[in-house]
Amino acid sequence: MSSLPEEVRSWIYDFFSNERFAAYLKIDARQCIEAKGGKLDFYGLSSLRIGEPVAEQLEFMEGLLPCPELPFHMPMMELPGGHVADLHFFGEGDSVWLLFLDATPERDHQQRLQQKAYEMTLLQERERQLNAKLQSTNEALRESQEGLSREFRRAESLLLNILPASIAERLKADEQIADSHAEVSVLFADIVGFTERARSVGATTTLAILNYFFRAADLLSEQHGCEKIKTIGDCVMAVAGLPVARSDHAQALANYALELREAARRERFAGEPLSLRIGIHSGPIVAGVIGKRRFVYDLWGDTVNLAARIQKAAEPDEIRISDATHELLGPDFACDPLGETELRGTGRVRMWRLRG
Amino acid sequence: MLQKKICMLGGFAVGKTSLVRRFVHSIFSENYLTTVGVKIDKKSVAFPDKTVDLILWDLAGEDDIGSFRVSYVRGATGLVLVVDGTRPATLAVALTLRERCEAEFGAMPCILLFNKSDLTDRWAISEGEIDELKQRGWQIYLTSALSGEHVDDAFRQLASMVAK
Repeated sequence: MSSLPEEVRSWIYDFFSNERFAAYLKIDARQCIEAKGGKLDFYGLSSLRIGEPVAEQLEFMEGLLPCPELPFHMPMMELPGGHVADLHFFGEGDSVWLLFLDATPERDHQQRLQQKAYEMTLLQERERQLNAKLQSTNEALRESQEGLSREFRRAESLLLNILPASIAERLKADEQIADSHAEVSVLFADIVGFTERARSVGATTTLAILNYFFRAADLLSEQHGCEKIKTIGDCVMAVAGLPVARSDHAQALANYALELREAARRERFAGEPLSLRIGIHSGPIVAGVIGKRRFVYDLWGDTVNLAARIQKAAEPDEIRISDATHELLGPDFACDPLGETELRGTGRVRMWRLRG
Repeated sequence: MLQKKICMLGGFAVGKTSLVRRFVHSIFSENYLTTVGVKIDKKSVAFPDKTVDLILWDLAGEDDIGSFRVSYVRGATGLVLVVDGTRPATLAVALTLRERCEAEFGAMPCILLFNKSDLTDRWAISEGEIDELKQRGWQIYLTSALSGEHVDDAFRQLASMVAK
């Protein structure tokens, strides 16, 4: 292959030198500038002084010489004037030639591409980090929500334990609750000889007995559609015909009383069968919730007072009912008349003993 | 004239250029502008007995360590390794770059900067990790090119190390 004519080679050299703003320095063995040429002014380097140390005039030369590996290439060095040069070092005896070729457009192009790529990568990294954070925040949120709804369910079930469900619903809706009920039956039941026996068997056994009694009262009230309203010491208060009215409230409560008495007899208290004193009366009452933070659903009225007095007058194991209740029960229940009895604060009252 | 070449090394977008701009020109910009190739800055650090001119080589950050041109580091007398405290992976990049340099040019004074300390809510480097590196002999600074926190201290420390 024959080489190009000198004219062509010279044209290529000139073209390339112009195109790339070629400039050069010759650096001697003492690391001083020996000669300079080309388009140094393009790089802002026209004032470099011949014969003086190169590193004092060109900071990037600090530490680079002597360079054991020549030729040596250092791409894209941004020079103080703002132009970017590819630097090429060549050896010639003890001297080094340093060639500058403009790389500004190339650097700018590469920077635009690189910028996009890195920004994209940074965004992806940031997105990953944020997603991870979001996930852990969601996890924590879900856990506290679960805790909250557990608490809520617990509070709700506690509320249902104290109040009839329909009353609890109205209370949650912030309604004022005071309802008149024309026709209900009210029952009181307590344990015969509770105080003396409690003393003889001790607190633990007493609590177990109370627990048994109240649980039976709860369970049976569910079965018979009655409501246990409250307990006072060893006494249970229950009602039928509430909160939803029913015409057979007396029958329901009579059946409740009979089974409650049976349930009590199956348990022993201080060596003897647990026996109750039960009283029932029927009539109008007012039912409502009092209190705001520690609410209590309760019943008021003469019907309630009379039911309590009848219960106190009852014999052990007796279910004593008022005349009003007896009338409502009708012929399906066996009752013995007790004649008129004087009750405190009420006067003479006709009462009956419910047998079954 | 005491003049020392120092190279800034680290992954991309860790803040090498911003740290140099903060140290040399006392300015900071939120805009990220990636460095391609190398840009050189100079700052004198004065000590009671001498003044050191630091020639700071702000090298392009690396995404792929394989593309790092170790030849830029020729003649350097000290290294500033920069880690982005909000991106834990950049620690490994910095440590690997330093290994590459020392394999080529031998051991030299070195400081390790955990940068972007102002981004506390995104900070991802534990104190335990930093303590462990300190115990292994690393000179560590938590820096913020934004606020300037510890930036002068760090460069001054390196200047005193390379001037010995």
